[in-house]
Amino acid sequence: MPLTLARPQDGAMIICKVGGKDETRKHLAELGFVAGEKVQIICEAAGNLILNVKGARIALDRQLAQRIMV
Amino acid sequence: MAITIALAGNPNSGKTTMFNDLTGSSQHTGNWPGVTVEKKEGRLKGHREVVLQDLPGIYSLSPYSPEEIVSRSYLVNDRPDAIINIVDASNVERNLYLTTQLLELGIPVVVALNMIDVVRKTGDEIDVKKLEQALGCEIVETCALRGEGSVQAAERAVALAKNAAVTLTKNTFAPSKNTITNTAGNAHTSSLSKEAPRFLNRRTAFSNEVEAALDSIGSLVRELGAVKDKVAGKINNGEAYLRWLSIKLFERDAEAAKDAGIADTAEGKRVLAEIEKITTAVEDKLDDDSESIITDGRYNYISDIVKQTVKRKNAFALTLSDRIDRVVTNRILALPIFAGVMFLVYFIAVSTVGAWGTDWVNDVLFGSLVPDGVANGLAALGTAGWLNGLILDGIIAGVGAVIGFLPQMLVLFVLLAFLEDCGYMARIAFILDRIFRRFGLSGKSFIPILVGTGCGVPGIMASRTIESDNDRRMTVMTTTFIPCGAKLPIIALIAGALFPGSMWVAPSAYFLGIFAILVSGIMLKKLKRFSGRATPFVMELPAYHLPTPGGVLRTMLERGLAFVKRAGTIVLAATVLVWFLSSFDTSMQMVDTTDSILAIIGDKIAVIFSPLGWGDWRAAVATITGLIAKENVVGTFGVLYGFAEVAEDGAEYWPQLIAAFTPLAAYAFLAFNLLCAPCFAAIGAIHREMMDVRWTLFAVAYQCGFAYVISLIIFQMGRLFGGGGFTVGSAVAIVFILTLVWMIGFKKPYAVPAGERLSGAPASEVA
Repeated sequence: MPLTLARPQDGAMIICKVGGKDETRKHLAELGFVAGEKVQIICEAAGNLILNVKGARIALDRQLAQRIMV
Repeated sequence: MAITIALAGNPNSGKTTMFNDLTGSSQHTGNWPGVTVEKKEGRLKGHREVVLQDLPGIYSLSPYSPEEIVSRSYLVNDRPDAIINIVDASNVERNLYLTTQLLELGIPVVVALNMIDVVRKTGDEIDVKKLEQALGCEIVETCALRGEGSVQAAERAVALAKNAAVTLTKNTFAPSKNTITNTAGNAHTSSLSKEAPRFLNRRTAFSNEVEAALDSIGSLVRELGAVKDKVAGKINNGEAYLRWLSIKLFERDAEAAKDAGIADTAEGKRVLAEIEKITTAVEDKLDDDSESIITDGRYNYISDIVKQTVKRKNAFALTLSDRIDRVVTNRILALPIFAGVMFLVYFIAVSTVGAWGTDWVNDVLFGSLVPDGVANGLAALGTAGWLNGLILDGIIAGVGAVIGFLPQMLVLFVLLAFLEDCGYMARIAFILDRIFRRFGLSGKSFIPILVGTGCGVPGIMASRTIESDNDRRMTVMTTTFIPCGAKLPIIALIAGALFPGSMWVAPSAYFLGIFAILVSGIMLKKLKRFSGRATPFVMELPAYHLPTPGGVLRTMLERGLAFVKRAGTIVLAATVLVWFLSSFDTSMQMVDTTDSILAIIGDKIAVIFSPLGWGDWRAAVATITGLIAKENVVGTFGVLYGFAEVAEDGAEYWPQLIAAFTPLAAYAFLAFNLLCAPCFAAIGAIHREMMDVRWTLFAVAYQCGFAYVISLIIFQMGRLFGGGGFTVGSAVAIVFILTLVWMIGFKKPYAVPAGERLSGAPASEVA
């Protein structure tokens, strides 16, 4: 499911796919969003998320979160 | 020969903190990604021959936002003699992603494992010796904030650079992915500068298919013009460069092909086509695109290393920062908390603590103590009348009027430094993104705006971290709508003189700024030149930490000093000029202000502003001098109204202002001065960011036009509803209002023809 459907209480989840084919996807990969990596939702505000991935805290908007499948 | 050492690393890993520590300079630091947007040069303390380069933070050698291009091109094309790679020890895995790329450049690398104190506190363990062996580069544990280990790291980098100059011409690159030839492990703890450097820079091992492809690409480009020279020894460690280039070409990095000079020759194009074939073959086989293959390869390599060397307590336990985030970015509480914080900042700085200090300085220090003292002194010396006039009416009245606001500035600077250092700044960007988006701006636009409340110049520069050209240009244009530190005196002057005891004038100036930004966002977004899709928001949020009092005070003193310096230079010069022009007539006779050269010129300009309610020539002149520096507005009033008063009994010129302005006209004057074109320094900054004269002119014209319209609406509508009767001015104001309403509410956004490539949007949006 896309990350936008997950909840903070789901704990750490495994990313299975990051959609899209562009520079933004590459940037997401550089930040640690790659398939097989664990990701956890720290908090959610109107679809925008703060995530924990590879020990870093990353804020994403809804549009991007939708592209990350867990 | 000078040795250059670059400081490279992820954003917010502490590069500038270490740079300041090593060079003794005081570049601005803060706890959010993107504080540094330009490279800065400095000399290593105690080793003048060593040049240190502080670079903007990067996540990889493929730039994503404009300031990252600076770092990449410096590392790749200028090739420093050594790199200190600053790695955030609390987040080794992600940080090493960049490290693997830096190691491939063939430049000696020292890893500075920074913020090691944080790791020790959380109980995580890093086996530094093992990590050194695995990466094949030296590691120094550092805590740049406290100055621990920084010098060591620099010394190691210098030693490596000196040694590399000798050995690297022989192309001794770490030969194979399987053998660890690294021997020493404990050496980094003892007599550092004497021990022979161990420069091995192990390279990332990719899967067999990829390695084979990289080898074939390498042999294809090895003999090409510019590449051939480099591999043959024109640069240190050419073999490593070849490998790096091969990887980049495999990733289809057009920039790298261009830098290597193979993108535009016929031979180069043929080779690129062949490389494309090799790449596609591997992609088909591994069922993934080449960029992801490389990225995955790197991460696999790193996670193997990290597994062996780093012991984590629990990576997914909620930290204190996470808990704070759950509150301050909470969907209901986020905005009230943000509004509360902002109100508190300006309430403390402008209305309460800062105002007490300013009142004292204005009333006591520059109101009586200084002028009386100086007047007595001059009388005792028996100086000439014109000299007394220059000193008392010109310099003290003008510069004093500006310096008087220093207490308010200092309080504001303390609070801003605290906000920047604690980590809340990045959260504000996140919280506001969903709101700003509706107005055509990115949440990241708020950081420039907040920095701009101190000074517009760094504010405008901070916009460089915004990825999309559209959002960035729009931010550059609108950032200076927010009152900067130099406009604070204007606000305080108008509020103090014409609205005594009122709470709302100072905060309203900031709301006016925000309003102008949001309205401009909506309107500009509908223009053809800003049309395009919104870029997604992605930003790393730093951990919260309590700012050190020393750091906050240092920032405050520095900015305060800059303010005083401006008062002592630009403002002083402008004040003297204003005094001169307002004291003499065209035949160089000392005359009353109203007959002076300045009055004659001012009267001509004032006509433009009379529809705004302040057709007095003094106000017009003040506005014009404000272009040199906004503090001048106050300084000019000080000279023009101060005159006789200060000389006689040291009373302030506020009563004269009250006589010259109605409150309504004064507020219209304030609005215009806050919104119109910023000072020349800021216009220069706008030009640097726009990199185009037409864009700069467009920005300045827009700002002035917008300021005029708003100021006119305020005055004319205020007069109409205040019983002033319907005039031509009221009609014009109504037309302006209707135009604004139409632009905001009804004008259709410029429709992008389907399939057309957007000039303003980044390539990614089109792909």
